[in-house]
Amino acid sequence: MTRHRTHALIIAAVLAIAGAAAIAIGHHDEPAAEPPLTAPPAAPSSAPATKVGHDVLTRGKLLPASVPTRVRIPALDVDEAITGLGQEPDGSMQVPTDARTVGWYTKAPTPGSLGPAVLAGHVNFHGADGTFARLSALHNGDRVEITRQDGITAVFAVTRVDRYAKNQFPAGAVYGAIDHAGLRLITCGGYFDRRSGHYVDNIVAYAELRGTE
Amino acid sequence: MRFPRTLLTVPVAAALLLATPTAALADESVHVKLLELNNSGASGNATLTALDNGDLKISIRSTGLVPNSSHAQHLHGSATGMDFHCPDMSADTNGNGYVSTEEGMPVYGDIFVSLTTKGDTSKASGLAVDRMPIADAKGNLSYDRTIASADLPKGTVEHLKDLHIVEHGVDANSNDKYDLDGLGESTLAKSAGLSGIPEEATDPATCGMVSGAAVGSVPVGGVATGDGSTRDRAAAWYGAGGLALLAALGIVVVTRRRSYVLSRAQR
Ligand SMILES: [Cu+2]
Repeated sequence: MTRHRTHALIIAAVLAIAGAAAIAIGHHDEPAAEPPLTAPPAAPSSAPATKVGHDVLTRGKLLPASVPTRVRIPALDVDEAITGLGQEPDGSMQVPTDARTVGWYTKAPTPGSLGPAVLAGHVNFHGADGTFARLSALHNGDRVEITRQDGITAVFAVTRVDRYAKNQFPAGAVYGAIDHAGLRLITCGGYFDRRSGHYVDNIVAYAELRGTE
Repeated sequence: MRFPRTLLTVPVAAALLLATPTAALADESVHVKLLELNNSGASGNATLTALDNGDLKISIRSTGLVPNSSHAQHLHGSATGMDFHCPDMSADTNGNGYVSTEEGMPVYGDIFVSLTTKGDTSKASGLAVDRMPIADAKGNLSYDRTIASADLPKGTVEHLKDLHIVEHGVDANSNDKYDLDGLGESTLAKSAGLSGIPEEATDPATCGMVSGAAVGSVPVGGVATGDGSTRDRAAAWYGAGGLALLAALGIVVVTRRRSYVLSRAQR
């Protein structure tokens, strides 16, 4: 009699431990909290200069062009290779073909040179969490380090993290002219539309060049 | 059987090449602010867009220029990394109150590309006023041209941000035209073998400085960076965990009750 009882209690204990572990895993797998739908930043105030005599109309350090090869985001434990992304036939941006690799949009400035450099990574893909799964958890000031082909590592600091509806994507704010070396990190977020198989929003983290290593 | 080592390494090298971004370095759009020079009252904006195929698309919109007059315009500078700027009035070495094209050259560099409306775009066309854009009756000038990569000096696209757009043509005596009464004869034109060209026609009116850069080809819509495949994973784990805990609780309850019932029966 007591042997059965002992067996049953052992099974119960194992189930309890497994259950607690499963809940812990679930907690760990919880999608990162996302910012509310955001209005994009205003277009950068154009320099008030009307007469020559100023040396520069741009802001901050600028690097010559060089293709990016690797991205590190210490706050997210990200350290991944970078591949090039072009445009699909419909004009949309190509995306990486696996969950881990981060893509650099090639029809845009290179990271560290004047203008917005654009990196895109999956939030999840083919059953795996993507490299940008926790992009929305970035905070202002978090470092993003981009290694470039010329050997220079451009160090950026996050300045804002926004969420936009894809059907109202603010192309001007994300892709438009800026007076400094900027970086845009893009992934998906918001509601997942099972019928279309796509998220309805994009998460966009903005960063500015702070220095080099 | 042994393969020569090179046969094996070639595909690997090719794969590595394909894996790294191969893009043109400069598929981007450089924004230039054209600032007043020589108190011309003129200003404007320009966009230089490096296209995939290496061509350069130039778009200029300026206002306040001498009306109904042609305005020579050039990209000044070099592709050798020289540090050029837009001049201020201190460049007026002869003290006539105007920075001439020659006086500006040490500051903004020599003519690199002539922004003509058609035909040749080399330095040789620098004073080809018959192929330079004409400001309308209000002094507005609009210029759009795509220059083929073959016609661009080497390194143009790579050094786009180091170049300065300069538009020429001022009206010193405010009579809405270029004449010798304004500033006399153009020494620049004269040295190029053209006599009788007014200095007003060749003195710079605006000088452009890079104010920003943008994506060269803006992607349509949002970015499809997710397929939702791990979105519900947390919920699945929570569900499984909850079920396991319930089962454990059930086993404990049943076992207890059974042992209680049994112990009563044994008595
Ligand atoms: Cu010129």
